[in-house]
Amino acid sequence: MGSRLGGIFWSLIFLAVPVLGVATFAIAPSYNIWLPKDVSEHGASIDGLFYFILALTGVVFIATEGLLFWFIWKYDAAKAKGPATYIHGSHTLEVVWTIVPAATLLFLAIYQMNTWADVKMRRPAMAPTVEVVARQFEWRLRYPGRDGMLGTRDDLFLTNDLHLPVDEDVLVQLKSMDVLHSFFLPNLRIKQDAVPGMKIPVWFKAKETGQFDIVCAELCGWGHYKMKGRVTIESRADFDRWLEETYARQEATQPAPEDTAAPAAD
Amino acid sequence: MKRAFAAFVVSGVVACIGCGPTRVVAPGADAEAAGRIRATLVSASSAGGSAEAATAASGTGWGTLKGRFTFAGAAAQPKPLVVDKDTEVCSMGGMKLLDRSLLVDPSSKGLANVVVFARKTGRVKAAAAETPLVFDQKNCEFISPVFAARVGQVVDVRNSDPIGHNTNIAGSSFNQLIPAGQGTAYKPDAETGMPTMVTCNIHPWMKAYAVFRKDGYVAVSGTDGSFTIPDLPAGETIEFQVWHERSGGPNGAVGLEKPDLKWTPKGRFQVKLEPDEVKDLGTLEVPAGAVGG
Amino acid sequence: MNRFSHIAFLLAAGCLLSAGCGKTPSASYRLNMVEATKQRLTTEQEQQVATVLLAMFGTPDDPVALPEFGLDEAKLRLASGPVRSDIVGRKNGLYREHCAHCHGVTGDGMGPTAAFLNPYPRDYRPGVFKFKSTERADKPTHADLLRILRNGIAGTSMPSFALLSEPQIDALAEYVKYLSIRGETELALMRAYFELDDDAKGILPETREFLVDETASPIAEKWKSAAAAQIAVPDMPADIDLAESIAKGKELFYGDKANCVKCHGVTGLGDGQANDYDDWNKAIVEINKEIEGGLAKAGETSTSGMSADEAAEHRKQVAWLGKFSHVVDGDALAPRTIPPRNLRRGVYRGGRRPLDLYYRIHAGINGAPMPAAKGTVPPEDIWHIVNYIRSLPYEFDGELGADRPLVARDRF
Repeated sequence: MGSRLGGIFWSLIFLAVPVLGVATFAIAPSYNIWLPKDVSEHGASIDGLFYFILALTGVVFIATEGLLFWFIWKYDAAKAKGPATYIHGSHTLEVVWTIVPAATLLFLAIYQMNTWADVKMRRPAMAPTVEVVARQFEWRLRYPGRDGMLGTRDDLFLTNDLHLPVDEDVLVQLKSMDVLHSFFLPNLRIKQDAVPGMKIPVWFKAKETGQFDIVCAELCGWGHYKMKGRVTIESRADFDRWLEETYARQEATQPAPEDTAAPAAD
Repeated sequence: MKRAFAAFVVSGVVACIGCGPTRVVAPGADAEAAGRIRATLVSASSAGGSAEAATAASGTGWGTLKGRFTFAGAAAQPKPLVVDKDTEVCSMGGMKLLDRSLLVDPSSKGLANVVVFARKTGRVKAAAAETPLVFDQKNCEFISPVFAARVGQVVDVRNSDPIGHNTNIAGSSFNQLIPAGQGTAYKPDAETGMPTMVTCNIHPWMKAYAVFRKDGYVAVSGTDGSFTIPDLPAGETIEFQVWHERSGGPNGAVGLEKPDLKWTPKGRFQVKLEPDEVKDLGTLEVPAGAVGG
Repeated sequence: MNRFSHIAFLLAAGCLLSAGCGKTPSASYRLNMVEATKQRLTTEQEQQVATVLLAMFGTPDDPVALPEFGLDEAKLRLASGPVRSDIVGRKNGLYREHCAHCHGVTGDGMGPTAAFLNPYPRDYRPGVFKFKSTERADKPTHADLLRILRNGIAGTSMPSFALLSEPQIDALAEYVKYLSIRGETELALMRAYFELDDDAKGILPETREFLVDETASPIAEKWKSAAAAQIAVPDMPADIDLAESIAKGKELFYGDKANCVKCHGVTGLGDGQANDYDDWNKAIVEINKEIEGGLAKAGETSTSGMSADEAAEHRKQVAWLGKFSHVVDGDALAPRTIPPRNLRRGVYRGGRRPLDLYYRIHAGINGAPMPAAKGTVPPEDIWHIVNYIRSLPYEFDGELGADRPLVARDRF
């Protein structure tokens, strides 16, 4: 038999959960704490799924927490009149609250199939734009050279500095040189585990230019936290020009001008 | 009771995490003294010229030092080296390459390849035009197990074998490919201090020692153990350093019991020469224990 | 018993939780104990070296560079000390954030992560660097260090720091030079004790002339003159026939002039040799041999026939060997052999430009067994070898020999 004040206190505490929860979600975007900026073509449908599930679970969350508050408030021991009643359960209730969630989940499963297929199954018929080999703790990149074929003598080798053309389908061939890594492009809504021994295709189309992050999303060792790369989305013309310049640097037979700086510059 | 014991064991294990091989305690710096030193260094003046210049030798003339090292004890048979590459040349005709680290002449008991050099001299006799010193390798071994050259002298590193070698002088960043029958010139630009190792990376058993000195006052004892250093400045006390490859002393120094020469455990002795004197140190017996290691 | 187990549990939990408590000691440079013990320095001498180094170079949090060293103190301040920020957008403590856990606070290549890496991180203290554009005996240029930081070293654990800003990479390169100059000065000071006259009583002169002009300045001079020692690379002939050049290169690779197969193997897989060491590991191997030999000899020597002096000498020697053994256990990483490079993988540590391969062949690799071909292999021939090496990862016409199948790893 606690005090009524105690009962009010605890029920308000429980009310704070949905209130604060909703408030957090409401003000977070204005503090830039929300999903990263999306610059990919399929990102909209992925984000849409996220919002849909968020809304669904949000409604259920508010309802459940609200009920929790209400029951603590209404059936407080301090103002209880008479003994509690016991029921032997309700078959209807059990059936309802099994079927409804199951149906919801089934709906979700079917609703998202198209997005999943777009991102993971409907691979565009094209040669890889770049081969990304994940390695502790860097991203080794290999572009097919002028002959357009990977694995030939004129390939372009780089580390961590991925360039891709905008508004074009891009196919990345993902490999791992040692352990599990995960190729995560937050701004392109792409995340794919790099499994040692497998060659995994990853495709997407970027809609905006800019520089974005590549991060590793699968714990791979002591340097996992700093296994960061940079993806630069640029126009096709810029991309081609960058490929040519980088290739020329790779084939250099004389030191670059900045490498022969006079000693006084030290 | 069981729970208490388990908790005790767990905390014991946890407490041991982080234990491992401990490092030796390195002495800390004396911050106060460091402050004083820094004050001297930062002040622009380079603290009044070195007083050592005053001890410049006032003598004239030149003398010669000679002696003969012998080995007291029975020298073991040199062991054959492991030759496992290019055997058609290096083990040609069943030839065996022997370890030359302790070479004792059976008849005269002379100890070869002992290096004697002057540590610091006040005067140096002007060098005659240096002819290149030839350092050759044949039959997959360096012809001289120990050789000495002057800083700035041209060393003609040759390869008289029908196969290629590379000559790697430790500490000097000289590591040069020398194709069969060719050679290359090397000019040492710094003193070695104690002799430094010369190896071939292609044929790992090949080993020699090189010593480079600025004033050129260095000698390597021959097969009978004798050595001569001519044209030493007379009238000043010169300290010499003695080295042998197998010596157990610090950095290979050979310390002998010779208080009359002020021979120290660091392998140094002192001599003062008169002009035109040829000082013969006589037979310097090296105990078996000193170079047996 | 219930109360007892509660107390025991609380005690255990308390121990666990307080395991990290306590003031973190500020970082400090560690003396090169291996060299100090090798030179048989006394504790006073070790302390003198530490004191002099503190005076000349400062601490990890507060580095000092004399004008003679040619270092930019502003860059050192950016790279040194704990990670902190004094101006919005500018981060200090870069070395400790990015480098110290492998290369160590002292630049000794023995940070906490180092023991798990193959190859080991570079020990800057001997002042020897492998991948540079200068002649073998010379230091790397500033641009060489920037290149390594930007590109990393393929095939090793040295990552690419291209995502750092230019001033940050610049500051890190400057700090590496500072640590290297400090390390080499430390070695020179420790070795100087052996060269002292007896009347110096085992104390180094603490004059500006000895410390700066004679010891530290020559080391700093080598860094300053590195840019002048850059290898002048003759152009690869523009009309070169690639196929012909590769064929010539192959002849040279297998031939007696360049002797490449002697170490890199007739398959190019780097299996021609298996038991050589790079300079850093070789030093430890030699020390281990000396200790083992010394202990074996000491074990065989019987002290019964010795005079008091000799016996004291013998005991001192045994004590020194014991100390040396202990020092090598804690202050040196277990030596590892350096295999010749597997040229079939297409992984080139010093860079994959034809220019980089030219540098490696011309000057060899300082600190490693790879010898210099300068002077004995003419430049056109070096270019032929470079072209052949660049074709090796793609040479699949059965040249490897029927009895040497490609290992799966190498097929990658």
